[in-house]
Amino acid sequence: MRPSARRNTRLIRGIDPEAAFPAGLPWLRYGYRAAAILLAGLLTLIRSAGVPAAVPGSVPSASVTITVHSADGRPVPGAVITVRSLAADARPSAPIKAVMDQINRAFDPDLLVIPVGSTVDFPNSDTVSHQIYSFSPAKRFTLPLYRGNPNPPVRFDQPGVVTLGCNIHDEMVGYLVVTDAQYFGRTDASGSWTADIARGKYRVAVWHPRMNDDANELERELTVAAGDRVTHELRLTKPLRPAPLSAHPHSWDGYR
Amino acid sequence: MKPLAALIAVGMGLTCSAHATDWEVDLDMRLLSSDGQRSYLDGGTGALRYGENQSGLQLGRLRLALDQNIGELWSVHLDASSWGEHDKNPIDLTEAYLLFRPYPFDGLRARIKAGAFYAPISLENRGPGWESPYTLTPSALNTWVGEELRTIGLEGQIDWLGTRTGHLFDVGLTGAVYGWNEPAGVALASQGFMLEDRQTTLFGRVNPTPGLNDPREVFHEIDGRAGVYAGIEGRFLDRLVVRALRYDNRSDPTQQDGVTHIFAWLTTFNSAGARLESGNGWTGIAQWLQGETTISPHSHRLGYPFDAKFLLISKQIGRHTFSARYDRFEVLTHFVTPTGDDYAQYGHAWTLAYLFEPNAHWRFALEWLDVSTESALREAIVPSEELSRERKIEASFRYALGSAVR
Repeated sequence: MRPSARRNTRLIRGIDPEAAFPAGLPWLRYGYRAAAILLAGLLTLIRSAGVPAAVPGSVPSASVTITVHSADGRPVPGAVITVRSLAADARPSAPIKAVMDQINRAFDPDLLVIPVGSTVDFPNSDTVSHQIYSFSPAKRFTLPLYRGNPNPPVRFDQPGVVTLGCNIHDEMVGYLVVTDAQYFGRTDASGSWTADIARGKYRVAVWHPRMNDDANELERELTVAAGDRVTHELRLTKPLRPAPLSAHPHSWDGYR
Repeated sequence: MKPLAALIAVGMGLTCSAHATDWEVDLDMRLLSSDGQRSYLDGGTGALRYGENQSGLQLGRLRLALDQNIGELWSVHLDASSWGEHDKNPIDLTEAYLLFRPYPFDGLRARIKAGAFYAPISLENRGPGWESPYTLTPSALNTWVGEELRTIGLEGQIDWLGTRTGHLFDVGLTGAVYGWNEPAGVALASQGFMLEDRQTTLFGRVNPTPGLNDPREVFHEIDGRAGVYAGIEGRFLDRLVVRALRYDNRSDPTQQDGVTHIFAWLTTFNSAGARLESGNGWTGIAQWLQGETTISPHSHRLGYPFDAKFLLISKQIGRHTFSARYDRFEVLTHFVTPTGDDYAQYGHAWTLAYLFEPNAHWRFALEWLDVSTESALREAIVPSEELSRERKIEASFRYALGSAVR
């Protein structure tokens, strides 16, 4: 995410301010720089929230809010939302380069949502060695016992949930949600997620590490018309599993 | 000093190998007041680690631990301690084993241990160095495990990691073959159950006969027959652990060591327990162990059925842990003792403990323990003192240092 933010900053800085603004207007020049930095910061913020920054500008879009509630009606923070286009020519979101660190014997972040084809770097910032594995069908791999960052990034080519563990430290668990959706993100503390979504027909899915429901049964179709403000509610039918007891709170522990 | 020299040599060798070593040194000092009898560790009949004569400042434990990965799938674990007592070696190993841990495959994971280590019995001794995060003193049941049991052999474990494949539980099976434990049971038959945190070291001894300076090696092979155990463990998410284990050391109780005259004690037991943890800091542990230890000198069978159980409730609030435990235990005999009893010992105990860990290095603890026992052996030695109530209050100051400390 950070490299793309740097790219955006470089692009904006690519316009020569000396040429654009004559010497007589220095305040305007500084104003331009401030605006450029502000815009770059905003783009970083948007990307870090998991919303694809490149919303098709030419296609009319609508603001869509998805809320997730538990079976007993309480908001569910940290749920993964994916919105996949049903159009025949729809293409997945562009791959990214992500990082999942290991700090204090925990994956950090403990959950990442990445487009298909993305790569993830798994550095180990702990003083103890870790030995990372996944036997999930979406990606089976092992990273030999290591500290620091000796391994090349791992590429994830198939959509699905990849559960990560450490063969030394059983309490370590992390998740990668690999998606071919065009829009994706995670619900906030109030259990909602909002994005500008281009006009069209979509399939909305929800997933949570502690969910007992079958994710397929919760999928819904969503039609987005231009200019709409759409609010869509997804309600789980089964109670969530208890939050893990690990000394390091997970991002999906908000609901107790 | 042999074990210490071996430990240092192995440690130095490991430090020089490819993967860095994780090490830890802990110093645990105790300040206590006890009204107990002279401890059985000190040649008396008391059930506590420290009798009245030992009130004051004591070395609780000096511990050195080393973990070393060897290649991808192997590792070595060494745990050595000094308990500040007049044992055979000033510092000695409590555990030393080689661990083979291949990668999980399709939700199944195998573990193989070779060396000397604890059988998966205790649900409270889950900390580094087989310590409890709830109390200073383990239950009577697990005190006995630390005193007389150690697997010196080979243990295999296979786990089905259901929670990593979208299920709610994991299941594990364990089996072991071991030797060097024929004297296990002698302390139980003579003294009964104790409540103390000293773990017998691999080359260490216990003194089962009060008044006699007759220390016996606990981990000793007499009859050349291997013992076995098999266990099952179920885990519901990370909230509930349920364990059961069948233990049989398969000793020949007619055998006696030619040099030391130590008998081979045939010790068999069933053990079961559960640990339940809530999401808001509460922990409940219940454990039960029932079995028998037997010798047959000159074809006279002397059997000692035993039974121990406890219930522990603990509440963690931030870095503070408050725990309460109730223990019950008994050792019976199949014959009437000279004092006319058909038991060797029975008793019960209450323990209250407060532990505070301000950071990864320091731990402060305060424990109050009240144990009442009736002991046939004690009555035989001091006829007026059949019933004994012993109390202690003990403060612990522990500092941990090392790459494994976090």
